[in-house]
Amino acid sequence: MSIASLLFVFFQGLALLALAPLVTGMIRRVKALLQNRRGAPVCQPYWTFATLMRKEMTIPEHSSWVYRFVPFAVLGTTLALALVTPSIGFGAWGPSISNIFLFVAIAALGSVFLVFGGMDTGSTFGNMGSNREMTLAALAEPAFFLVLATLAFFAGSASLDGILAFFARTPWHAGTLVVAPTLLALLLVTLAENARYPVDNPATHLELTMVHEAMILEYSGPYLAMLEYASALRLALFGALFMNLLLPFGLATPAAGALALLVGLVLLAVKLALFALLVGLIESLVVKMRFYRMQEYFTLTFFIAFAGAVIVLAHIL
Amino acid sequence: MLTGLVIVSFALPLAGALSSFVSASSDESIRITYGAYALGGLSALAAAIGSFVGPFAGALAPIQAFFFGIIGIGTFLASLYAIAYIPLYRESYASAWHASAFALFLIGMEAVVLSPSVLAFLIAWELMSISGYFLVISERTPDAFRAGVEYLVMTQLGFAAIASGMLLLAGGAPFATWQEVAASAAQLSGVARGVAFVLLLAGFGSKAGLVPLHQWLPKAHSQAPSHASALLSGVMLKVALFGFILSVSLFPGIPLALSALVIALGLLSAFFGALHAAVEDDLKRLLAWSSIENLGLIFSGVGAVVMLGALPQSPLVSAMAAGMVTFVILHTLNHALMKLSLFLSAGTIVAKTHTRDLDALGGLAAAWPVFSGVVLALSLAAAALPPFGTFFGEWAYLQALVLGLSAPLPASIAAALVLGIIGLVGGLAAFAFVKLFSTVFLGRARSEHAAHAVAGERPSLLLVVPPALGALALLGTGLFVLPLLSAQAPLSAHALFASTVLASGAAMNAWLVLVLLGGALLLAFLAARAFASERGARVTGTWDCGTPLTPRMEQTATGFAAPVRFFFRAIVLAEKEVTAEPVVATNPWIAKRRILWSVDSFWERYAYRPIAALVLRTARAMRRMQNGVVQAYLLFMFIALIIVLVIAAV
Amino acid sequence: MLAAFAKMISTGSHPDPILLSPEEETEHVGESLRAAIKELYGGRALHIRHVDAGSTNGEEYELTALGNAFYDADRFGISFVASPRHADILTVSGPVTRNMAHALKTAYDQTPAPKIVVAVGDGAATGGIWKDSYAVVGPVDAVIPVDFVIPGDPPSPRDILVGLRSAILAARHS
Repeated sequence: MSIASLLFVFFQGLALLALAPLVTGMIRRVKALLQNRRGAPVCQPYWTFATLMRKEMTIPEHSSWVYRFVPFAVLGTTLALALVTPSIGFGAWGPSISNIFLFVAIAALGSVFLVFGGMDTGSTFGNMGSNREMTLAALAEPAFFLVLATLAFFAGSASLDGILAFFARTPWHAGTLVVAPTLLALLLVTLAENARYPVDNPATHLELTMVHEAMILEYSGPYLAMLEYASALRLALFGALFMNLLLPFGLATPAAGALALLVGLVLLAVKLALFALLVGLIESLVVKMRFYRMQEYFTLTFFIAFAGAVIVLAHIL
Repeated sequence: MLTGLVIVSFALPLAGALSSFVSASSDESIRITYGAYALGGLSALAAAIGSFVGPFAGALAPIQAFFFGIIGIGTFLASLYAIAYIPLYRESYASAWHASAFALFLIGMEAVVLSPSVLAFLIAWELMSISGYFLVISERTPDAFRAGVEYLVMTQLGFAAIASGMLLLAGGAPFATWQEVAASAAQLSGVARGVAFVLLLAGFGSKAGLVPLHQWLPKAHSQAPSHASALLSGVMLKVALFGFILSVSLFPGIPLALSALVIALGLLSAFFGALHAAVEDDLKRLLAWSSIENLGLIFSGVGAVVMLGALPQSPLVSAMAAGMVTFVILHTLNHALMKLSLFLSAGTIVAKTHTRDLDALGGLAAAWPVFSGVVLALSLAAAALPPFGTFFGEWAYLQALVLGLSAPLPASIAAALVLGIIGLVGGLAAFAFVKLFSTVFLGRARSEHAAHAVAGERPSLLLVVPPALGALALLGTGLFVLPLLSAQAPLSAHALFASTVLASGAAMNAWLVLVLLGGALLLAFLAARAFASERGARVTGTWDCGTPLTPRMEQTATGFAAPVRFFFRAIVLAEKEVTAEPVVATNPWIAKRRILWSVDSFWERYAYRPIAALVLRTARAMRRMQNGVVQAYLLFMFIALIIVLVIAAV
Repeated sequence: MLAAFAKMISTGSHPDPILLSPEEETEHVGESLRAAIKELYGGRALHIRHVDAGSTNGEEYELTALGNAFYDADRFGISFVASPRHADILTVSGPVTRNMAHALKTAYDQTPAPKIVVAVGDGAATGGIWKDSYAVVGPVDAVIPVDFVIPGDPPSPRDILVGLRSAILAARHS
C-alpha cells in the first residue's frame, strides 16, 4: 500500500467521521420541517456528543467487563468500516480489505457486540432490544449477501472499490439503471441495518417499540457518546455507499490530485445531504411496522434483491 | 520415523487403557491414562504434519494425513481436558471401562482413516461406532440409555448401508484395496453405481447428521460426557466426512443429479441445524444442532466440488472448484477446533453450575472474566465473524457462489438462491451463538445453581486451557492455513503472508483483516481516552422504571428465541400450552398459571412418526397370518418356494 | 402519499396571527435558554428525563406541548430522552406518591453528574391539594434534592421554558 493510498484512506475516513453527525442532524431537520417545525439545528448531534463526553458515567451494578468493552468494540468495528467504505473515491485498498463479504461481516460484528451490550445489563428493555436486533440482523443477511453479490457480478469485481470503479466508468444508464432494483433492495437493507423506519423508530421514547435505543438505555456519558457516534457513522457510511452507487459521479482516486479530492469531498457532502433528504422523506411518509410483521419486510427485500439479480443475469447474457 | 509416530499414536491409548485397570479412580491414574491419550494425540498430529512437510513428506496420502491430524488435535485437547474433568465426576466416569471405551474410540477413528481395504475400514468403523455407544451411555441415566439406543440403531442402519454400498462397489470382495474397489466400480452399470452412491450417502450422512437422518445426533451428543461429546461432535463427524470423501473418490464419475442431491441435502441440513440451534435452550444440544448445520455446509461444499469435477473444465469451473475446496478444507479444520473447544467449555460450565439449561444460567462473565473471554472468542468464531478462521472459510464459499453467478442461466439462478440460503444460515447461526454467550455469561444469574457458581471458585486452569488453545488455533487457521490454500502460491514458507486469491481478483488476507480490526479498536480506545471527561464512572442500579428488577425478569434463552420461533413457526412447530388454576374460588383472575411449551421436530412429525405408524399398521395386518396353525405356515413356505422358482426360471 | 406531501407543503409554518406575539416571546425565551445551556455545559444540548411521580397528567400535557410545532423546543437544543442515564435534567411532576418514591430515587441516582432536578407544578413543589394525604410521601424535595421549582397548576409551556432557563442559571451560580 503506497503512501498516497494511505493518506487517501485516512482523508476519506476523516471526512466520513466529520460528516457523520451532520447526516443524523439533517434527517431530523428534514423531518421537523415536514412537521412544520423548525427543529434542532443540523449541528445538534455534535453538541450532544460534546455534552455527553463531559458527563459522568453511571454503570449498572450487574454488568461485567463485556458491558465496558462493548462501546469500544462497536466504535472500533464502525471505524474499520469507515476506513474501508469508498466514500470520496476508490482505489486505495487492495481486494482483500475492500471485499464485499468482509464489509458485511464487520458490520455484523458491530451488531453482535451491541447486542451483548444490551444483554449484559440485566434490564428487560435491553434484553428485548437485543433479541430483536439479532433477529433483524439474521433476517437481513440473505438480501444483503445477494445485493452485494449481484453488484459484484455485474461489476466483475468482488471488492467495493472495484464495484465503484466499474460504475464510475460506465455510463449511468448502462450501469446504475440496470441495477435499480438491486439498489432499492440495498436501500431497504440500509434502513434495516441502521434501525430506521419502518424497521425501528429512532425517535421513540416508548421502550416497548424500541430496538436500537433499548440496547443503549443503560449507557451514559462517554460510552453513550461512543455508541451514538458509531450509529451515526454507520448510517453515514451506508448512505455514502448507497449514494455513490446511485450517483457514481466525481469519485476521486489516490492518484488524482488535491483538487479531485476536494471535489470528491464536496460531492460526498452533497450526496449525504440527498441521502438525508431521502431518509427524512421516507420517515415522514412511512409508519413503523409491527415487529412481528418484519418477516414480510425482509421477504419483500429478498425478493426485490432476487429480482434485481435475475435482471442483471438476463442483462449480461 | 513416521511409521513409528503412527504406531505410538495407536499404542499409547492402548497402554493408557490398560494402565487404568490397575487403579481407575485415583487422580494419579487418571493423569497417567489420559496423559498417555494426549501424548498419543500429539504423536498423531506430528505424524500428520510430518507427512506434509519434511523428509517423510508423502508417507500418508494428503487426505489421510489431514484427517489423521484432526483426530490428533481432538485427542490431545479432549484428553488434556479430561485429566481435570474426570475427577469432578469420579463416580460415573473414573472407571477402567470408560477409559477403555475412550481408547477404543480413538483407535477406531485412527484406524478408519488409515484403513487400506474395505474390510479393515468396516471393522474400524464398527469399533468406533460401538465404543462411541459406550461413551454416550456413560452417565447411565434413563435419558442417556434412550439416546444411546437411538444412536445405536441409527449407527447400525448406517453401517449396513455403508457395508452394502462398499461391497456393491467392490463386487463383493471384502479384502479389496481401494484401488481394486475403484477398478471394480468402473465395471459396474450406472444403476448399480447410483444405488451404491445413495447407500453410501445415507450411511455416512446418517453418521454426519444430515437431514433427515439427524434426529439421533442432538440427543446422543448432549448426553455424552463433555470430553466425549467434544470428540463425537468435533472429530467423529469429520471421520464420517472422510468416509464420504473416500467413497466419492472410488467412483469413476458421478452423475450431476446425484451431486445435486448431496448439495441439496447439505443445504437442507445447514438450514435445519441453524434454525434448531437458534431456538434450542439446552447448551449442549445447541452445539450439536450447530454441528448439523456446519456438516451440512461442508457436505454441500463437497457436493459442489464433485459436481464441478464432472462438468467440462473451464477457467470458471476450476476457479469455483478452488474456492469450494478451500472452503471444505478450512471449514473442516475450523469446525473441528470450534466444536471441540465449545463442547469442552460447555463441560466446564456444566461442571460448575450442574445444569445445561440455558434458561437457568447467566451472569458468569463477571465471575470468570478469562474463561468468558475464551467463550466469547469461540462464539464469534462459531458465528463465522472475522478475524477468526471460520469467516475465511465461509468467505471462500461465498466467493465461489459469486463466481457461480457467471455460469449459464439456470445454474446462475441456483447460485443466487444458494447465496440467500447461506446468508440465512449464517444469520441464524450468529443468532444461536449470540444467544448462547449472552444467556450463559451476561446479565445476572437466573437460578440458584448459576448464582452458586458465580459465588464459587473459578474453574481450574486445565479446564480453561484446552478451549483457549482451540480459540487461538481458530485465529491461526485464518492467518496461517488460509495462505497455504492459496490458488496461486504452492505450499511453501514464503507464501505464509500471501493472500488467498480466487479468480477475478477476489483476494483475502487474514493478516490485513486482523490489522484493520485491531487498529480500529486501538483507535477507538485512544479516541475515548483523549476525549473522555475526568468525571469517571459510578456504579448504580439498573434502570427499572420503579419496579425492582429480579433475575427472573431477565430474558431467558427461550424468550430470546421467541421472534425466530414465531417467524419460522411453520417449520419449528413450537407449541405453547397455558393452564390456569384458580387460587381463590371467587376470583378467577387470581390464578396459578403454568406455561408449557415444546418444540417438535418437523422430521419426527412428518417423516419418522408416519413411517413408524405405517410399519406398526403393516405389522398388525401381518399378524393375521400369524395364527399358530402349522399347516398354514407350511403353506406359506410352499407358496414362497414356488414364487422363487418361478422368478429363477424367468 | 402525494396528498400528504401537498398538505405538508401548503400548510407551511405560519402560526395563527393572534398568536404571533406569544411566538415571538417564546422565541425570545428559547434563545436565552439556549445561551444558558451553552454556558452550562459548553455543549448546546439539554436532555430531559421526565419523571411523573404521581401527577394529574396536567404537567405532562404541557411538557408534551413543548414538542409541538408552536413551541418546538427542539430548536433550542432541548430533547426528551428515554432513560435517566441519558439525561442532564430530571423534571419531576406531581406529589411523590408512596409507590413512586423508589422510582424517583433510583432515577435520580442513575442520572449522571452534572445533573439538575426541576420540580414542575404545584404538586411537585408543595404537594398541592394532596398535601398530607396518606398516599403521598410529600413534595419532591422530601425524596431527592431539588434545584429549582416551576410553580403553576399546571405551568404553561412558556413558564416551563422560562423555568428551565432560570434553573440552569441558578445551577451555574451555585
